[in-house]
Amino acid sequence: MPLAMSRVSRRTVLRGLGVGLLALGGVATFIRTSGYDLPAHRRGKLRVLDAAQFTILTAIASCVCAADGSDAPSIEETDVVGFVDTFAVSMPGRMRRDLLLFLGVIEHVAPLFAKHATRFTLLPKASQDDVLSALEVHDNGLLRGGFAGLKALLFMGYYRDPKTWSLLNYDGPTIGRAVTP
Amino acid sequence: MSIRSGADLKGQVRLLCDAVVVGTGAGGSIAARELARAGAKVIAVEEGALSTSADFNQREEQMLPLLFQDRGGRTTDDLAIRVLQGRGIGGSTVHNTNLCKRTPDAILELWHERYRVTGMRPSELAPAFERIERDLSVSEIPLAMRNRNNDILRIGTEALGWRGGQLKHNRVGCQGSGFCELGCVYNAKQNALKVVIPEAVLAGADVIADVRAVKILHDSSRVLGLYGEAIDREGRVVAEVTIDAPVVVLSASAVGSAALARASRIPDRYDLIGRRLRMHPGSVVAGRFKDEVCGDKGIPQSYECTEHLSFEEGSDKRVWITTAFAHPIGTASVLPGFGAKHMSMMRSYRHFSVLTAMLHDESMGEVYLAPDGRPALRYQMSRSDCLQLQKGLRACAELLFAAGAEEVVIPATPRVVVKSRRDLDSIDWSFGKPHSVPLTAVHPMGTMPLGDDPRSSVVNSRGEHHQVRGLFVADGSLFPTSIGGPPQISIYSFAQHLSPHIVERLRH
Ligand SMILES: Cc1cc2nc3c(=O)[nH]c(=O)nc-3n(C[C@H](O)[C@H](O)[C@H](O)COP(=O)(O)OP(=O)(O)OC[C@H]3O[C@@H](n4cnc5c(N)ncnc54)[C@H](O)[C@@H]3O)c2cc1C
Ligand code: SF4
Repeated sequence: MPLAMSRVSRRTVLRGLGVGLLALGGVATFIRTSGYDLPAHRRGKLRVLDAAQFTILTAIASCVCAADGSDAPSIEETDVVGFVDTFAVSMPGRMRRDLLLFLGVIEHVAPLFAKHATRFTLLPKASQDDVLSALEVHDNGLLRGGFAGLKALLFMGYYRDPKTWSLLNYDGPTIGRAVTP
Repeated sequence: MSIRSGADLKGQVRLLCDAVVVGTGAGGSIAARELARAGAKVIAVEEGALSTSADFNQREEQMLPLLFQDRGGRTTDDLAIRVLQGRGIGGSTVHNTNLCKRTPDAILELWHERYRVTGMRPSELAPAFERIERDLSVSEIPLAMRNRNNDILRIGTEALGWRGGQLKHNRVGCQGSGFCELGCVYNAKQNALKVVIPEAVLAGADVIADVRAVKILHDSSRVLGLYGEAIDREGRVVAEVTIDAPVVVLSASAVGSAALARASRIPDRYDLIGRRLRMHPGSVVAGRFKDEVCGDKGIPQSYECTEHLSFEEGSDKRVWITTAFAHPIGTASVLPGFGAKHMSMMRSYRHFSVLTAMLHDESMGEVYLAPDGRPALRYQMSRSDCLQLQKGLRACAELLFAAGAEEVVIPATPRVVVKSRRDLDSIDWSFGKPHSVPLTAVHPMGTMPLGDDPRSSVVNSRGEHHQVRGLFVADGSLFPTSIGGPPQISIYSFAQHLSPHIVERLRH
């Protein structure tokens, strides 16, 4: 989920809203890391995310991968956030940094886009959906693109799981079986 | 195939050869093969790993990070365009979709007249094209292997009386699994990995995977060699590699080669290196059909619609339309929205036919170095290209309706759902622009163009830098303009055509 910015493009973006907000979110993430608790089975097991980042990403994943029916597996059953944590280990450094920074933006800044003064993880689910919808159509391209990248990462975590394939009638890999036309 | 891995090197390594080739994709594989066949001592370094059909497992979440640059996450710096490029022995040919088209004659003539490219008119390049097509077993995709997604494009094209046709490919023994973009488990792709690199090795080339070129060594007038870093599977540097050589061939792709040239401070009097990046950016349109389409099965792309494509300079027909189908993760990331609504759309996965409108782009981007030294891309789509994109999206929608789609979904944000062909007239298509529709580019090119005028080209028509003797380019960077279609045959063939000049340089 790259939010790669060169010196020049940072300058360009500074003219707009983007980096100011990103920086705010980043700073806020460093300051406000209290009040986030990891579930017992995650303690000491995460490789990249800290407790705050794990909590924020779990809240986002609950919205992004929300099911439309009872046959769809949950984000816990598919371990979406655990997948992203592992995937992030070998991400190029600047992408990993941008990903973590962006989580801070969503937690502390994005709620303002939907006129909420509370941090993302404390909002009710419907309001969280509003915040993400506002982010998805935000005028600032970096915020929009950042959310698209984050969504892609979460969908990767979700749809990689064979339990989701029957929803799509998708057969999965052909290795070890006859290829049917 | 005997290929070394840089991961096995340690400390400071010093090597000596006649020519170093950087990158082992379409261009690099041919350069390495031809130089080795001419008797030169060649070392080809590749920053990615060697992965073969035994390593491919048809799983998106594992193959994307294994086979693609930046673990599949490369984008333009404004995050508007996803840029897919290969990383590993065989480069982008490992996961490409095997379409084979020659450079259009009109483009070659344009380069000759406008960009002072000599020796590369259609008749002059014909022997190289023929040679490459023979080597890679290029043939027309059998009609029996056209899947329903591609047949829908054919039906739509014919129903509208538009121009189109069956495409050619470089596959032998294809099982129609549909997983081409994740590497072929059945080893059916006749690509750099399977065909050309083994031939290069057989001819004596020393191919080393997991070595990233960091700097071209030169004294501003001639090449002295290459400095690189050997890396392990976790990306840690395990050795420093210095290769002394009078010739360096840049084949690290239009992104990698320009970035390396910039990092090496190659003389660039007219500030051309990395500029003029074209990419064929494209977006998709999905049609929902009553019956299953199963676009994920069979050869992904076998038919094209060229009604809106002309190669005349300044033409307002600059859209190439073909099919585009992805596996679940790829599809989910392109569909707009999220949550329950998104999942409902995903349930139509098997009922979607997906077309892509790719631009024969005029916009010019740039490859530059990010603060961490890695390549970064800047690309602003011009107004004229945005209009072409809008035209292309509309044309895809028309084709899908003409083929019987019940509704058409344009994955814009917010999404656009169209119920009938008539409704297309009432749509304001201005949403067709970066950040509003998902854009992907798989054909970066043009960052170190060739030509005989140093004011408009980085290398001469023999592929050699205008000022630095012994520095050659043999990859997609060479194109002076977009070519408006799949570039691999052009790149393989240009490398084939230019190789004798490199051999010649070694002799003098
Ligand atoms: C998904 C997809 C589908 C495609 N489908 C088609 C198709 O159907 N038909 C078609 O004609 N084209 C297709 N293409 C495009 C085509 O594959 C490429 O245009 C072509 O392979 C580019 O050749 P190249 O030699 O310029 O670079 P590449 O083939 O990309 O090779 C460059 C190599 O250089 C290596 N490298 C980069 N930097 C360094 C460094 N610093 N040190 C060492 N090594 C380095 C890279 O790891 C890579 O292996 C597709 C591309 C993609 C991504
Ligand atoms: S469709 Fe053919 S070439 Fe593509 S992955 Fe399957 S067998 Fe290989």
